[in-house]
Amino acid sequence: MIEVNKLSKTYGDATVLSLDALSISKGEHFGLVGNNGAGKTTLFSLLLDLIQASTGTVTIGGVEVAKSEEWKKQTAAFIDENFLIDYLTPEEYFEFVAQLRKVDTHTLKDFLGRFEEFFNGEVLNQKKYIRDFSKGNQKKIGLAAAFIGQPELIILDEPFANLDPSSQIRLKNFLSSEENKATTLLVSSHDLNHVTEVCDRILLLEKGEVVKDTPKSAATLKELEAYFSGQ
Amino acid sequence: MGVVTKTEEFRPISRRTNQMNLFSLQFKESFRAPQWEAKLSIKIVMALVMLYFIGAFVLGASFIYPGLNKNVLTKEPLEVFNSVLVYLFFFEFILRFFLQQLPVTNIQSLILLPLKKSKIINQVLFRSVFSGFNLTPFIIYLPFAISMYRDDYLATQVAAWWMALVLTTLCINFIIYIINKDNRFFVGLLLLLASTVALDYYSIFDSGAWVGKAFDRVVEDTNYLALFVLLALCSYRLVYSFLKRGFYMDAGLKKKKTQVRGGGFAFLNVFGEDALFLKNDLRLVIRNARPRQIVVMSFLFLFYGLVFFPQEIYRNQPYVLAFAGMFVTGGFTLTFGNYVPAWDSSYYKLLMTQNLSYKNYLLSKWNLMAFVTAFCTLLAVPYVYFGWDVLAIIVAGSFFNIGLGTWITLFGGLLNKTPMKLNVKAKAFDNTQAFSLNQFLLTIPKMVLPVILYGLPAQFISPTAGILCLAGAGVLGILLRQQMATKITQLYIEQKHETIAAFNK
Repeated sequence: MIEVNKLSKTYGDATVLSLDALSISKGEHFGLVGNNGAGKTTLFSLLLDLIQASTGTVTIGGVEVAKSEEWKKQTAAFIDENFLIDYLTPEEYFEFVAQLRKVDTHTLKDFLGRFEEFFNGEVLNQKKYIRDFSKGNQKKIGLAAAFIGQPELIILDEPFANLDPSSQIRLKNFLSSEENKATTLLVSSHDLNHVTEVCDRILLLEKGEVVKDTPKSAATLKELEAYFSGQ
Repeated sequence: MGVVTKTEEFRPISRRTNQMNLFSLQFKESFRAPQWEAKLSIKIVMALVMLYFIGAFVLGASFIYPGLNKNVLTKEPLEVFNSVLVYLFFFEFILRFFLQQLPVTNIQSLILLPLKKSKIINQVLFRSVFSGFNLTPFIIYLPFAISMYRDDYLATQVAAWWMALVLTTLCINFIIYIINKDNRFFVGLLLLLASTVALDYYSIFDSGAWVGKAFDRVVEDTNYLALFVLLALCSYRLVYSFLKRGFYMDAGLKKKKTQVRGGGFAFLNVFGEDALFLKNDLRLVIRNARPRQIVVMSFLFLFYGLVFFPQEIYRNQPYVLAFAGMFVTGGFTLTFGNYVPAWDSSYYKLLMTQNLSYKNYLLSKWNLMAFVTAFCTLLAVPYVYFGWDVLAIIVAGSFFNIGLGTWITLFGGLLNKTPMKLNVKAKAFDNTQAFSLNQFLLTIPKMVLPVILYGLPAQFISPTAGILCLAGAGVLGILLRQQMATKITQLYIEQKHETIAAFNK
């Protein structure tokens, strides 16, 4: 699904990301961990062609992202609040995204129905603009919108941050559920518990370089905890 | 980046340092504001623009007194001027309501610090006195006062009259706090204005003369100034208690949660895929303070023709006529188009990762501008009062605006890489928030082109040829809109990363 080749990003003298090669296959649930400044958001931005790579290439579904826009048809992302149109109501926002992804109103309604529990009655029919929602509910809106139209690849930056405990658990269950089995999922998180639960492969970044890239096993969480506590 | 910040030591807090801290906070806020980081060239241009406006006002105001004197009036110039003051005050209220951004929101970060509420409120109100909007006494009333003095009024009389106006301006400055917090007060103000005009018109109650008398009185007996002092103090007290009541997170300091305005616009679905963006653009305009402000301003452009068309001397100057004709309907295109794509800066990343057609996105902006320009043209029909030729120029100008002006401003907008805060009103004089020299230069072809397109044929062939040429150029632009959109789309794609990075700041 994703092929990364000799990818790097430098600002002046500082190299913020340097990846020799990375290959993520279809249906893989891929977790990205690392401290602040490790290069997680830079990697996501490069995958989505939001910033230009200094060297190297990214291809999604066989298309080089910097050259063609074909990849947009099968990709969705929620990186930060810059993915929300804050003067719309959630319904209008979902409708906008659905129309861009050619999802009809009926399918959208069905889709949102499945999010009822996750939304906890605080998102739909509130008659207010997204900018007036709390941070947590804004996050829920952005996350739900990313899944509209069943994109093949979904990229989520810190999806668990700002969510209340119940919502975190519901999100975890949703991400691991049957309907997302075939979806290629890229998730970054500071919460080692969540990310190891949801993902079946973990990449550990530090200062822009890969420290560890392993399939998840029973020992992964312990290893990560040991790494981050400096032992 | 690159700014060296000195961390200050923590000192024990005494009462005096409290007050000093507030001022130093204010000082830092002003000098670390983004507009100071603008380029030097922009600062110079902005300073010149500001000086121009101040100069124009001062010059204009200094002609009022001699102007009133010259006419065969039975009344004294001062009396005449005083009698229209009430309308000036209304105008000031309305202007301030739309443009003045009040510094109230800053209170929130101070609320938990060991500072007395009264101190914070006094400080906020004190600061508001230094707003650019309080320049009116200096740029309008002071030149008039000087003319009075040069006539035969005593210095004390002139000073008292001017002080009375300064105090009234302060009253307006304070009361606008209350009006700004609640739209109902604004509606009330408009109703008051309407009824004032109506009562005046039907000679039931002449409030102009009534308010004017108060100012006449001050000149007759300077002791009456005490009344104005009292009035200013009362309004200060009123706002003070208003702010104090609102000094809780769930009261006045809470961000206004607005009612959802503007529904589904389902009727727009006839436009097919274009409607998707058009709907959003309409919501953008209806629901955000900044675009609303721009729309209001663009309607003011409609009156621009009144400066030129009534005057005989301009009737035979084709270049001036073309310029004025373009401006009458061009307000929205000029003001809105210059900020595409900056309007969408806060969610530009979303747009850039969605499967959307950039061309449709641009065409929808074009549609909106074309529609509003056409609507303005309808509103400009009363210009026919000055002759059919005037209306013909305006209509030809509107064709130009739709066909070419739109594309020129869309191109200019691309060069504008400053993110836009949608729901924050622009400040009147320090709006470098989204201003670039390139853009400024790009407004020049928009103004020069119609002048050439109309002016040259009108001068050398006939005015009709000028009108046909101007309108024809516009029609050509409308017919070729698909090609135009494709061209500009390419430019947008080329600049994608640069734009995303700039909007991310």
